[in-house]
Amino acid sequence: MGLLNYLIRRLLLMVVILFGVTIVVFSIMMMLPPGQRVAIYLQDERVNAEQFEALIEKYGLNDPAPVQYARWVKSVFKGDFGFSVTAQAPVVDGFKQYFPVTLELVLLSGPLIILVGILLGSAAAVNKDKPIDHFARIFSIVGYSLPTFWLGLILLMIFYGYFGLFEPGILSNEYRDVFFSEGFKSFTGLLVIDGILNNRWDVAADAFWHLVLPTINLVILSSALIMRLMRSSMLESLGQDYIRTALAKGASKKVIIAKHARRNALIPVVTISGLMMAGLMAGMVITETIFSRPGIGRWMAQASLRLDIPAIMFNVLFLSGVYVLINLVVDIIYAYIDPRIRLA
Amino acid sequence: MDKLIETKELYTNFYTYEGTVRALNGVSLSMKPGETYGLVGESGCGKSVSVRSMMRIVQSPGKIESGQINLFMSDKDHQKGIDILKRSETYMQSVRGNSISMIFQEASSSLNPVLKIGDQVGESFVFHRHEEMVKEAIDRLLEKSEKSSNGLANFFRNISVKLLQSELNSIEKYDLKVAEIDKELLEIEDNEDEASIARKHSLNFWRDRCQEYNFLIKIQRKIPILNAYQRGIGKAIRRNVLQLLTELGIPNPSNIIDRYPHELSGGMQQRIVIAIALACHPELLIADEPTSNLDVTIQAQILDMIKDLKKTKISSVLFITHDLGVIAEVCDRVSVMYAGDVCETATVKDLFKNPQHPYTKGLLNSVPKVEQGEKLATIPGVVPNLVTPPSGCRFHPRCPYAMEICKNEKPEIFELNDEHSTSCHLYSQKEDK
Repeated sequence: MGLLNYLIRRLLLMVVILFGVTIVVFSIMMMLPPGQRVAIYLQDERVNAEQFEALIEKYGLNDPAPVQYARWVKSVFKGDFGFSVTAQAPVVDGFKQYFPVTLELVLLSGPLIILVGILLGSAAAVNKDKPIDHFARIFSIVGYSLPTFWLGLILLMIFYGYFGLFEPGILSNEYRDVFFSEGFKSFTGLLVIDGILNNRWDVAADAFWHLVLPTINLVILSSALIMRLMRSSMLESLGQDYIRTALAKGASKKVIIAKHARRNALIPVVTISGLMMAGLMAGMVITETIFSRPGIGRWMAQASLRLDIPAIMFNVLFLSGVYVLINLVVDIIYAYIDPRIRLA
Repeated sequence: MDKLIETKELYTNFYTYEGTVRALNGVSLSMKPGETYGLVGESGCGKSVSVRSMMRIVQSPGKIESGQINLFMSDKDHQKGIDILKRSETYMQSVRGNSISMIFQEASSSLNPVLKIGDQVGESFVFHRHEEMVKEAIDRLLEKSEKSSNGLANFFRNISVKLLQSELNSIEKYDLKVAEIDKELLEIEDNEDEASIARKHSLNFWRDRCQEYNFLIKIQRKIPILNAYQRGIGKAIRRNVLQLLTELGIPNPSNIIDRYPHELSGGMQQRIVIAIALACHPELLIADEPTSNLDVTIQAQILDMIKDLKKTKISSVLFITHDLGVIAEVCDRVSVMYAGDVCETATVKDLFKNPQHPYTKGLLNSVPKVEQGEKLATIPGVVPNLVTPPSGCRFHPRCPYAMEICKNEKPEIFELNDEHSTSCHLYSQKEDK
């Protein structure tokens, strides 16, 4: 019952946090003059100055802030987040369209980032000062210090520019028609999975093909930190007294690494990995823009440039929700790995 | 002479950023079977490094540079003594925790915080008694299927027995292979010609690479549902752990077995560490300051426990401590170490009554006594930095009897009588006259 109790308490706390986020987000929006905020209610129509004043009056944009806040929260609870100019659709519909594209990339690259980071990190620690360690250390320095957009552009230049492989986007033109055709049912919005479910493996393969470059980009950039952390944490763990006890018991090197050292070393890595997964969603802005994938990252970038306030507010709210949820998951994994931590 | 383990001129160095720490400076010790041997000296004198070298668990950046460690065990292969520094790593793994085991200071950090006590104690059985565990699991299953008449359950039991037997076969095959290699190694042990050395090298190499499990067994252990048969082995290990803990007089073992180290008291943790060491009935138990960091009552309990065990379970104990009181209480023979050198070796009685080496004398003088009125005697000076150890006898800068020769030459071991030896120029000079 301990876990259930804990979950309920944490979820209640999450509601409080999200409430705080709404206040912050709303306050930022309120810094804009009413004249700009009117744009929220305009669906890209042209209005003259008189209508403008009338609209400000109509939507009560000159009312005291708490009143406006209450009005906004009310509409949010109704599921109405307003109209996104950049998506040319209500915010929620825009989200449904853009989110799967991001999710697909996160689902593929996230586990890869963690796996590469952990495996390379522990291999480097076990073979300290040997070639693989040097390689891992150079890899991490390079990966950590390269700017995302630069590596992305270089990858595109080499693979797409010179070899014509891995074009940007999410689908090739010929398959885009298939995707939007009548017979093709969208179950999840994830192109690869939809392709498989529709028994169109060619579509799935094409969608996967488009995922390769952005995934490589993300893995090189993000696994560097995890690898670095795993290496130092593993080294520390390998120097602990219980490793000596295991040695004295007659454990082989393999058992010592897999059973005794790695699990202890994972504890700090789990925290960073969780934050990184949440950060991956938020950090899609550059990756998706460069590889022209219409996901929420690119949506947010465009929304910021065009002052598409409803879209920005919704995404900020969504991403903070993701952060809080992932933190909860991390805490539970934490308690599972390290028995000294109690969920209380 | 009857021996259990001996080290000859053992040099162990640690390669740190500050320089090479010459931790052991030709340590020669010799232990007889059945005795409790004490190793005493101040912190950093190389006591722990000596015994870790004996088990070959000196961790990086440490390295055993030269010397010999001869192991004499009661089984027939070991009677003439095997130099374990020349053996392969897998050979050492079969020795560690099996015929020699070790208990450590600071039990709280010696136990893995994320594994249950049962798993940590049980590991010794996994490493050294795997065959017996599998056999026990098979016996249990056969027994059960004889008793029950449930056809379906018996069908599954039969499958489990088949799988366990395949595992047993693979273990036996591995043991045979290893035994073959060991036999050949033993035959050419003393040969020093080029061909034998190369052969020894390759044999040791192949011993490390013998696979205990063939590919099929590896897969059968990984497949879910099918690998349920492994539970039989787990249960057998658990029964053995329970029995071991009960034998050691640990209260409420069935509860302790499912706990994590941080949930136990310091004394209990030390008992668990002892249980791990004793799981496979070692011939030699090395106790590396087992009572430091425990309070006095618990110290006494742990010492009593080791003394009891000495009577009932283990024949020989190598006891490391900086506490002369503990030495007087538990040991038969003692070696005194200073800065990586063995200064003096004697029976406990002889050492306390008739210390010969100036360092031993100083050490015994600096023990506070109840009736003592004047100021406590100390040895002037400080322990040398072992990156730049003093030349000759490492004790000479602090020695009240230091002579010219002490600065230049490392003293030989000088035997005063059968049981008493010391390495000091004072005595070798006397002999010259």
